Amino acid sequence: MFFATYLRRELRRRMRQAIFIALGLALGVGLVVTVAAASAGVRKAESGVLSALYGVGTDVIVTGAAPGPPKQGSTSGNNQNSYGLQQGPDGQVELCYSNGKCTNAAGKTIDQLTASQQGISESKVAEAARLPGVAAAAGGITLTDNTTTFGHSSSGLPQSGSFTVDGVDTGKPSLGPLSSASLTSGHSFTAADADAGVAVVDSGYATSKNLRTGSVLTIDKITFTVIGIVRQPQASSPPDVYVPLARAQAMSLYAGSVQGKVTTIYIAAARATDIPAVGREVSRLLPGATVTTQSSLASEVTGSVASAARLANDLGKWLAVLVLIAAFAVASLLTMAAVARRVAEFGTLKAIGWRTRRIVAQVLGESVAMGAAGAAAGVGLGFAGAAIITAVAPKLSATVGGNTGPQASAPAGIRSAPVATFGGAAPHTVSVPLHPSVTVGVIVLAVILAVAGGLLAGSFASWRIARLRPADALSRVA
Amino acid sequence: MYKLTGVTRLYRKGRRSVTAIAGLDLVIEDGEWLAVQGRTGHGKSTLLNLLGALDRPTQGTVQLDGADLGALRETQLTQVRAAKIGFIFQTFNLIPTLSAAENVEAALIPAGVARSRRRARIAAALDAVGLGDRAAHLPSEMSGGQQQRTAIARALVKEPKVLLADEPTGNLDEDTRDDIIALLEKLWRERGLTLVLVTHDSSLAGRAQRVGVMNNGRLTGAA
Repeated sequence: MFFATYLRRELRRRMRQAIFIALGLALGVGLVVTVAAASAGVRKAESGVLSALYGVGTDVIVTGAAPGPPKQGSTSGNNQNSYGLQQGPDGQVELCYSNGKCTNAAGKTIDQLTASQQGISESKVAEAARLPGVAAAAGGITLTDNTTTFGHSSSGLPQSGSFTVDGVDTGKPSLGPLSSASLTSGHSFTAADADAGVAVVDSGYATSKNLRTGSVLTIDKITFTVIGIVRQPQASSPPDVYVPLARAQAMSLYAGSVQGKVTTIYIAAARATDIPAVGREVSRLLPGATVTTQSSLASEVTGSVASAARLANDLGKWLAVLVLIAAFAVASLLTMAAVARRVAEFGTLKAIGWRTRRIVAQVLGESVAMGAAGAAAGVGLGFAGAAIITAVAPKLSATVGGNTGPQASAPAGIRSAPVATFGGAAPHTVSVPLHPSVTVGVIVLAVILAVAGGLLAGSFASWRIARLRPADALSRVA
Repeated sequence: MYKLTGVTRLYRKGRRSVTAIAGLDLVIEDGEWLAVQGRTGHGKSTLLNLLGALDRPTQGTVQLDGADLGALRETQLTQVRAAKIGFIFQTFNLIPTLSAAENVEAALIPAGVARSRRRARIAAALDAVGLGDRAAHLPSEMSGGQQQRTAIARALVKEPKVLLADEPTGNLDEDTRDDIIALLEKLWRERGLTLVLVTHDSSLAGRAQRVGVMNNGRLTGAA
């Protein structure tokens, strides 16, 4: 075909210039692809952090206020969780309960269960589920079990430990902290487990306590059989143990009670666009509670992942734009220069009867061919850039949380309120790998940009050709 | 037939204007061979541009077969050039990246000749100028004479009515010049072309039916 032959021969004639233009476009496009891939990777890392805390499928989290210090007499009478310490007549450490009974502390272990937030009436979960824009709502409870073990020697310091317990709605597995977990052993809860003495355990906790499927663990003097072990995404600070919500509600707390209450409501919106409105409705329903959406949580993520996000979105984006503009400018100038050298050729073509638009089509075809070559090379450069980032970029860190209440200090034995946490997680920093990903959309964008660059360069030249008078063009040869 | 009436062409440069052609009247009959001589800068090429619909007169009319070329739109002028006028240039003006056959083919594309019929016409055109065996050669692989023959084939392949040649032998040696002129004369006779040839060469001009001399934008001796 004449058009293709002429195009191919012309590009071969000015091969160096064609390669230079294509490489310039490739550089700009490659940078766009790399920055887009890095941004996608950072966003993925961020959402991984957020999903791990949030749970996949949860759009809004409602938490009660941080618990205040326990009121006088609020501890349950015979509850061994409520106690004080005093020195006995023989100098030994004595445990004295609120019923007035005192006993030698030596060799004893005390369990203190505390809630991370103040309770919200469970009826509010159903009310939240009926709000406009809400697809589903589920309640949850986060408790911390602080244990203090007194040694047999009265002069020895007590040993402290703690683990977290989450009460989950077994009928709504897609909402709440278990939704982002992956099962490594056994099975998770079913709706039939709503009041069962079963537990699912985090893999890290299971390893540390040598627990496996079928093991038995005790919380608040109640035994639970481990039915499954799960692993949460790396960025989360997961609870150690999950039990059915009703069982968690029935547990005896050091102060207060969560019977008929929840500490967290997980809400899924019907559509992403409904999330802000749902947040506002929930705030009206529960004016004292903290309402958090993923976007507001995203603003709390700090650390190098947030810095990388800013770097990719701001500096990276503008650098790519500048390089692209420069590539377009160079391509345009070189194409105009090439057309200037071919003025006599185009004048001859006009003289033998070629219409201007046919000559313009020829020049645009040459420019588009260079753009396409630039696109192919640019996509390759983009993949290479993404691979280099994957290979050399250090792991990012993400710090989330910081919603603290009155400070407590372990060990137990001294009455105090616990550290209030966000969704059960204290402020913490996690390491997040960066995996840039080149999507089909970015490749399509790259091709469009490169071809557009070629067309832009060709269009300036075409304008010049359109204005060319044949007589003037031919006179430059004579 | 060409009919030029009171044709003037001015070129303006700032406040100054240069008169390339002044009040020229000329009739060229179909099938006639007119040679135009004159010194450099006296309007020969300008006359050829006006005849070839490459330029428009500042005043007067240039009629080709009754159509006023100065009144036509650019696209119409392009169609006239595609269908009726063949050009031969002093510097051959071949497309350097295309072979001889492809250069000839370039003239058939605006004429709307179907691809299936092009090959035969290209071969015939190259044969007519004695370049049947050079079809695949690029201009850089041909001598000056061969390049000019290719240009002649390109001009004639679309079977034009008019052939305009601007110093066709200006860049050729004596022997080659004679060959080219003999070829042009042969083709003129065989095809009944209207041939307007601009040349410095008096011996070449003497072979034409009529000779005009451009002098300061006026044509003498060709009335």
